[in-house]
Amino acid sequence: MTKKRKSGKIAPAVRGLLFVAYGVPIIWIVITSLKTSNQVFNTGWGMIFFSPNISAYTKNLHGALLQAGLQSIIIATGTCVLVLLIAVPAGYGLARTTGRMPTIALGALIVLQMVPQTATVIPLFQIFGSWGLLDNTLGVVIADTALLTPFAVLLLRPFFRGVPIALEESGAIDGASVWRIFRSIVLPIARNGVATTATLIFLISWGEFLYAVNFFLSPGRYPLSAVLAQQITAFGIDWPGLMALAVITSIPILGLFVATYKQLRDGLTLGAVK
Amino acid sequence: MPTLTSRTMKKVGRRDSSAPSAPRRRTRRQVRFVFVIPATLFIAIFSVYPLIQLLRMSVSDVTPATLGSSWNFVGFSNFSKGFAEGTLGTVLGNTLVFVGIVTVLGLVGGLAAAISLRGSARGSGLLLGLMVFIWALPPVVNGSVWKFLLGNTGLFNSILGISGTSPIGYLYNQHLALFSVAIVNSWAVVPFNALVFRAAILNIDPEIFEAAQLDGARPFQEIRYVIMAAVRPTTLVLTVLTVVYGFRSFDFIYVMTYGGPGTVTTTLPFLSYLEAFVRFDFGLGSATAVITVVLVIVLAMVYARSVRREEREL
Amino acid sequence: MGFKEEHHLPGITRTSPGLARVLSRKGRVALVAIAAASLLILSACSTTSAPSSSATPSQITVWHYTIDPIQAKVITAAAAAFEKTHPHTKVNSVYVPYDQLQSKLIAAAAAQQGPDVVLFNGGDANTLAAAGTLAPLDKYWSAYKDKTQFPDSTLHYYNNKLYAVQGVVDLVALWYNQDLMKKLGIAAPPTTIDEFNADMAKAKAAGYKGLTVTGLPNDQSEWQAYPWLTHAGVSYEKPTAASLTSAFTAAQSWVNNGYLSKEVVTWDQTLPFQQFLTGNVLFAENGDWQAGAAKGAKFKYGVAPLPLSTDGKLYLGGTGNGIGTFSKAPQLAWEYIESGTLSKSGEISALENIGSIPARLDMVKDPTVTSSAITQGFASLIGPNGAKYPSAAIPPKNVAGVQLLVGQTWSAVLGGQLTPKDAADKVMSGLNTLLKK
Repeated sequence: MTKKRKSGKIAPAVRGLLFVAYGVPIIWIVITSLKTSNQVFNTGWGMIFFSPNISAYTKNLHGALLQAGLQSIIIATGTCVLVLLIAVPAGYGLARTTGRMPTIALGALIVLQMVPQTATVIPLFQIFGSWGLLDNTLGVVIADTALLTPFAVLLLRPFFRGVPIALEESGAIDGASVWRIFRSIVLPIARNGVATTATLIFLISWGEFLYAVNFFLSPGRYPLSAVLAQQITAFGIDWPGLMALAVITSIPILGLFVATYKQLRDGLTLGAVK
Repeated sequence: MPTLTSRTMKKVGRRDSSAPSAPRRRTRRQVRFVFVIPATLFIAIFSVYPLIQLLRMSVSDVTPATLGSSWNFVGFSNFSKGFAEGTLGTVLGNTLVFVGIVTVLGLVGGLAAAISLRGSARGSGLLLGLMVFIWALPPVVNGSVWKFLLGNTGLFNSILGISGTSPIGYLYNQHLALFSVAIVNSWAVVPFNALVFRAAILNIDPEIFEAAQLDGARPFQEIRYVIMAAVRPTTLVLTVLTVVYGFRSFDFIYVMTYGGPGTVTTTLPFLSYLEAFVRFDFGLGSATAVITVVLVIVLAMVYARSVRREEREL
Repeated sequence: MGFKEEHHLPGITRTSPGLARVLSRKGRVALVAIAAASLLILSACSTTSAPSSSATPSQITVWHYTIDPIQAKVITAAAAAFEKTHPHTKVNSVYVPYDQLQSKLIAAAAAQQGPDVVLFNGGDANTLAAAGTLAPLDKYWSAYKDKTQFPDSTLHYYNNKLYAVQGVVDLVALWYNQDLMKKLGIAAPPTTIDEFNADMAKAKAAGYKGLTVTGLPNDQSEWQAYPWLTHAGVSYEKPTAASLTSAFTAAQSWVNNGYLSKEVVTWDQTLPFQQFLTGNVLFAENGDWQAGAAKGAKFKYGVAPLPLSTDGKLYLGGTGNGIGTFSKAPQLAWEYIESGTLSKSGEISALENIGSIPARLDMVKDPTVTSSAITQGFASLIGPNGAKYPSAAIPPKNVAGVQLLVGQTWSAVLGGQLTPKDAADKVMSGLNTLLKK
């Protein structure tokens, strides 16, 4: 009772602040996408009141965008799957072992994240060149995976540590193998963390464009993230175009998020039900 | 002021129960280390090799002309050149301020957001989705939006203009620019922290909350004793990730101020970019990157040590 | 979720219905994984892995940085011109974002790959040549029948070999708002600095801005600062602190007097012109490539020379054309350059679609150039005020360093971070190292 009333004051205030802080930029993006290049520089009330037009959208919606969208889906999904395949076991392994090695491993993961992405382009270009992975979606997926695995492992570890070890031990008492314990006991409990990590990996690799621009050598293979970067040209930035494209390229993510959020949310309440 | 009983505290504090028999546990732990192998192999090939190249470049003279052939070893002269040119001192200071702001605001904001969004009310889901959507937008979009919002004729200054104040140079005033960019960067990272914190908060056994309420705990105490204790491992990891993010962050500076005015908003990663991809002195750029890595190693050691301490608490 | 520690076996059985659910979820996950894996395998296999640099005579690859649909007509026209005379060879035009072009070329070269033709910012020729990404053009150039049409500033040499040629020239001048000038009672664009300052003062008094330039701390600032630096007597052959101080004082005065907004330190070259197009600014120092954007202005505009002394120089930039080192068909690549960018029709295409000034001497009197006041306004400056970009006094490997140093300092001056004297000292001490041969 007290709880509802008290949190009834602060929490909504925080939510309100967040709504403004994150809603205003979205509104601004949509508004700009409906302006002409000149209207972008309107001052005063002209910023909000103007005659909208959808030319920025019609200009950018064409067949090549669909192809780029498909490419984005392939890259993001592939990276997500590959990262989970190697990072989920690694996160569990590092959560359940102690000693010198895991500590060093953790430190190494942090250090690896500090290598600037730009510094990895040239070495990876050489590796992919000699392995025939240039101009190849698989190459970009591998590069993205290498980029995001340390991050994923670090993120997953606390979720695995949150699984009560008593459960794993009772599983062992029942005679289950380590692998079975991992698969049937630990993973279900940690699925919150795995789902969260998967979402983040998907979103990050969806937006990654440095590897995409450098490792794809022919046109038509660029994913959406690179298409967005194209709006920044040597001769100027098409502001309405940039914002329109941002809206267009984000719709698939939005759709995905809406679709999986229900699953995420249901998964959460499932565990909470007595 | 009723305090939480030891029963509730025990539930929160204890993550694992005491071990049955020690030797069996030790063997099992060795086995579990096998889980790490696939990731190790992959990282060894695709992440460690670029790191080694980075280290080699930082002690060599590498320009586009020499990139393809063998590199001349120059010892630490790339590092001393950076200090001699004078910018490195300012840049270091800028970086520490920048990382400090992003870390503090990012974590506090993320936790506050997670706590206020932990209910499964419809509005919370929508707001969280909105925040993650923003987070997922490319920095070039987010940075451009804020560049306009903070401009002389942007939203903030227009509102100020109503009361007759002259515009504030958020992005070009040499005293404000760094803070402005850091705050925008924090804003961009809060949704990520909120999402992860929220997942951790939702993992807390609801019975603990009930027990706390039975003890008569008020919301603030709930937050302090239940939530914050339970998310401690997550806080630890998010601190590391946010600090790393701050030390890597480059896109927002690139879009909003390009390190300016002058060098006011130039941080270590931006300086490294300028040296490597504008001046095309790969050796110098690598040296700056290595300096950043060394700074983070210090942090990594602190994290690793607290991880070991946390395990000894079992 | 937290399970109470008392529940051992019940904890497991409780997960059994959960297990069934988990299995079906894992089943779903497995399906997604298999689908994704097959997508990946499909995409990897279906790559017709002829790397785009391997130009079998059936295709040549051109890397460029033009994406705007109107400006890109230059690229499609060049491809069409080539394909007409080479019916068995297609042109594969690849767009690379401007900021990525140099690093992508260098990365590719490090792996022994690259395109057949590169269209890039001419001023970067030294860097690209030094990185081994460009092939020498000497043997094609000496056989080229029109080679005498091209002035020295359009040829880029490195280590005494020719690596890039320009078909066009880009430079800056003073764009002015004619309607606003009339409103303020200014009869003609300024020809001296005093007139310039007086005009901007009139604009400020009437509530407008006097000038826009770029103040971003990079090479773009150095590019735009050069006319003002040289006007004050600065030269890279023999820089002096006094001349630098004079130039920086003038620049800072524009800001202190309110003619120029300090906000320009966050603008590259495009934003200032977009501001100019709103009609609230009297003058804009900007380039010929804005001709297309200018057409959207709601006021009458014109172009005049910057009000410089005879010492004042303008950098002659422009798109450089080069052949990739790892091209398998360099002769075809040269023929593309010849027909697509160095020919009269190629230059006219660039003029009409981008606004760049033709470089050929036999185009100077061409009606396409003389008929447009804007084009003529720029073209007439090339001879008297043009200067090579980058300056030959700077050792090639330090060109980027000099541009960054001067650009950052210009930005610091406009932003008030440095006084003119401190700025001059900073530049002098930097140039002492960078200009050493």
